[in-house]
Amino acid sequence: MEIIKRKDRKDAHPYIPELKELYQKGRVTRREFLRNATLLGMSAAAAYAFISPFAPKKAMAAAMPKRGGTWKCGMSLQLIDHPARLSWTEGANVVRQVSEYLSDTGPDNITRPWLCEKWVASEDLKTWDLYIRKGVKFNDGQVMTADDVIFTMNEWLNKDVGSSMLGLLSYWGGPQNIEKVDDYHIRLHLVSPNIGVPEHLWHYPGVILPRNFEGDFIKQPVGTGPFILEEFAEGERAVLKARKDYWKMGEDGQPLPYLDKVMYISMSADAGLAAFQSGQTDVHYHPRPSDYLALKDNPMAKILTVDSSYCYPIRMRVDLPPWDDNRVRTALKLCQDRKKTLQLAAYGLGKLAIDAHISPAHPAYCEKPIPAYNPKKAKELLQAYASEKGLKLPLKVKLATKNDEAEPEIAQTLKQTALAGGFDIKLDITEAGGYWDRWTEVDLGITSWTHRSIATMVLPLAYTKESIGAWNETRWYDDEFSALLKDAEAQLDVEKRRSIMCKLEDIMQERGPIALSYWVQIMEIVNKRVHGMEAHPTHMHTTLRSTWLDG
Amino acid sequence: MNAEAAANEENKSEKRTKPSLWKTISIIFESRVATIGMVMVAFWVIVGCISLVWTPYDPNSSDFIQNLSPNATNWLGTDHMGRDLLSRLMQGTQVILLKTRLPGGEHSIPGGVAIWGVLGSLFLGVILGLNAGYRRGWTDQIIMQVLDALIAFPQIVLYLVVIAALGQGDMVVILAITITGAPGVARLARSLALDIQTRDYIRAAETRAESAWFIMFREILPNARGPLLVDSMLRVGYAIFMIGTLGFLGIGLPPPDPDWGSMVNEARKYIFVNQLPVIWPALAISTLVIGLNLFADGLREELMRYQK
Repeated sequence: MEIIKRKDRKDAHPYIPELKELYQKGRVTRREFLRNATLLGMSAAAAYAFISPFAPKKAMAAAMPKRGGTWKCGMSLQLIDHPARLSWTEGANVVRQVSEYLSDTGPDNITRPWLCEKWVASEDLKTWDLYIRKGVKFNDGQVMTADDVIFTMNEWLNKDVGSSMLGLLSYWGGPQNIEKVDDYHIRLHLVSPNIGVPEHLWHYPGVILPRNFEGDFIKQPVGTGPFILEEFAEGERAVLKARKDYWKMGEDGQPLPYLDKVMYISMSADAGLAAFQSGQTDVHYHPRPSDYLALKDNPMAKILTVDSSYCYPIRMRVDLPPWDDNRVRTALKLCQDRKKTLQLAAYGLGKLAIDAHISPAHPAYCEKPIPAYNPKKAKELLQAYASEKGLKLPLKVKLATKNDEAEPEIAQTLKQTALAGGFDIKLDITEAGGYWDRWTEVDLGITSWTHRSIATMVLPLAYTKESIGAWNETRWYDDEFSALLKDAEAQLDVEKRRSIMCKLEDIMQERGPIALSYWVQIMEIVNKRVHGMEAHPTHMHTTLRSTWLDG
Repeated sequence: MNAEAAANEENKSEKRTKPSLWKTISIIFESRVATIGMVMVAFWVIVGCISLVWTPYDPNSSDFIQNLSPNATNWLGTDHMGRDLLSRLMQGTQVILLKTRLPGGEHSIPGGVAIWGVLGSLFLGVILGLNAGYRRGWTDQIIMQVLDALIAFPQIVLYLVVIAALGQGDMVVILAITITGAPGVARLARSLALDIQTRDYIRAAETRAESAWFIMFREILPNARGPLLVDSMLRVGYAIFMIGTLGFLGIGLPPPDPDWGSMVNEARKYIFVNQLPVIWPALAISTLVIGLNLFADGLREELMRYQK
């Protein structure tokens, strides 16, 4: 304990010594320690140094990155205007090469400072000091200061802009709570404590813009990132060329990036697969299980994987019958044969889930047994409901989803497995756009939810009273759940947060609005000549600045 | 010509104009092309009939390992969901050729969605086309302008409009096929009516003061049946493709009940891993469509020969 105290830094959060102690006692994992220490302002280098003081350096045999070359990827390209309005990872993948975030959540799901040199949170987590990195220039030559950051934050919080950051940062209480201390120091005065500030600063619309930004990124592609937008045509291509004066240095002592050009070519998943197989692209973006099967034995393919909280919850509208009755919801949950679903929908590539939107990839996840497939109990529950309502079994319901990733397979598997439980499920599977037009409105549906690095980012988006009318597609909220969620958002102690998560998971399993069979294992399939690229749980291309090509 | 010869000639003429049912059917066997076509179509009809009472396994049950090659248990292999392909292929015949599920899904009527859809478009198209072609003038103008507008409308959008307005189901797909197919049939019927109405026997009928409907349906239609029959056979093929397209958009016949188009669509994602789930239904569609075309062609040739 003394040693820990001696190593304390004045500017580090007071909880960090306790966190170190927990790590030494084995009560938090290595990843949890890194995540929480960096969230509370400890530098990643210091955190790594603490956990592995005698760890060997990276193998010297690792090849020195080579410079040059054009990296190509097939990926659909939607309209981009104001980056604060980004709502697709694809658009964010283009923008993030030009502009950057205050923080950076890496492929290991740990958030580190980026355009912020560091951050310091008060003990009550209501005041956050953000120290802006000095010497960073936009690609038009302007120096980035606190004024640019505050301008960007005001854009996020401006209702007229329509950014999803506005809802996410509701606990900021508005622009008046952002204080400029000096040119490189900003202080946030939050209305309620929240440990997720650094994570939220990495939400994909959150790139830092210059203070003279006029609202259209394609006309004014100004950012601090490693690439310059050379060409963008919606539905066709995006071409980015390397910037020569990027602030971050590579392993060879020269400014990053290593690549000369990055090219995104808009194409469908099928065309993308064919393009990758013929060597026309270096990366197959967002591969489906079928693509994995097609490419796993391809000699030029390298498969990168990472666990995630990406999932396909079967969500029930609790304001509509029969889903307003918890017996029916529970019955449907019991009708999931999770192993079978994982095998049929994802060829076993993923992790089995409980019926709660909290993933093992999230910090403070509370381990729970995977519920068994139990159609008998489901039928009993349904029978009781049907008798009460004067209905006959099987109960006819309609399940809507999109013909996109694994949703049709999940839907068809559920239709099979739920028949024995007393459900007669009619499938309503439309193309993706058709479902996204009505995803918050259908009675019963399967919606894909992308990865979010902490559970307290996703739960307020979809399972609170405040989120009804926005992304709360089930209309479910629970007073006890909401109160516990608030506690979790303000709880520093990992163990205490885990115990809250245990309760949140129990509530969602007992009376929640979703049935969930598995968590997706995210894959990135790249050509073997691509180095330095890692799969990211969000499918974001976060490591292109340090990606290089060999041959 | 003596009296006996004249009587014989009259008898022959009688036989030609009023052939017996068997005589009509036997026309098919006089054409090798029609016979081959009929055998191909009959094969699928028989397969479909068998599937009504028996399939090797439950077509919708994922009982096997995914993407199996043909083997002793699964003769055609399995699909990406571990379902037996032979059972699915057999059941897929039903919805196209043999039965239509009524709203509610508990009852069905004989005749597949493709058949009823084509009959619907034939019925509507022939009425409109004959009226336009025979009556000419304003009637022709109004009917054809409306139909041209429908033809100019993108077909997929038309399907979407029909299905969005009426919901999903077999009957809605039939209606969609009817509405989208009728303009094409009407154009063909009109062009045939324009040609046939210049013939002497039409003048004769008009001289006899026959009604317009009589002339259209008793004088013109029988003489236009050859091209209409061939067109209808082709349209069954289009309808099969269309059911698959609607399935692809998720607005046709909902999974997991198989139809061949949806089977191709579902297996498409796995084509680089397992080609057979795409090949079998594609082969089924093509053999049925080719069979219908050959049957229609052969039949038309024989009918035309008898009409000479």
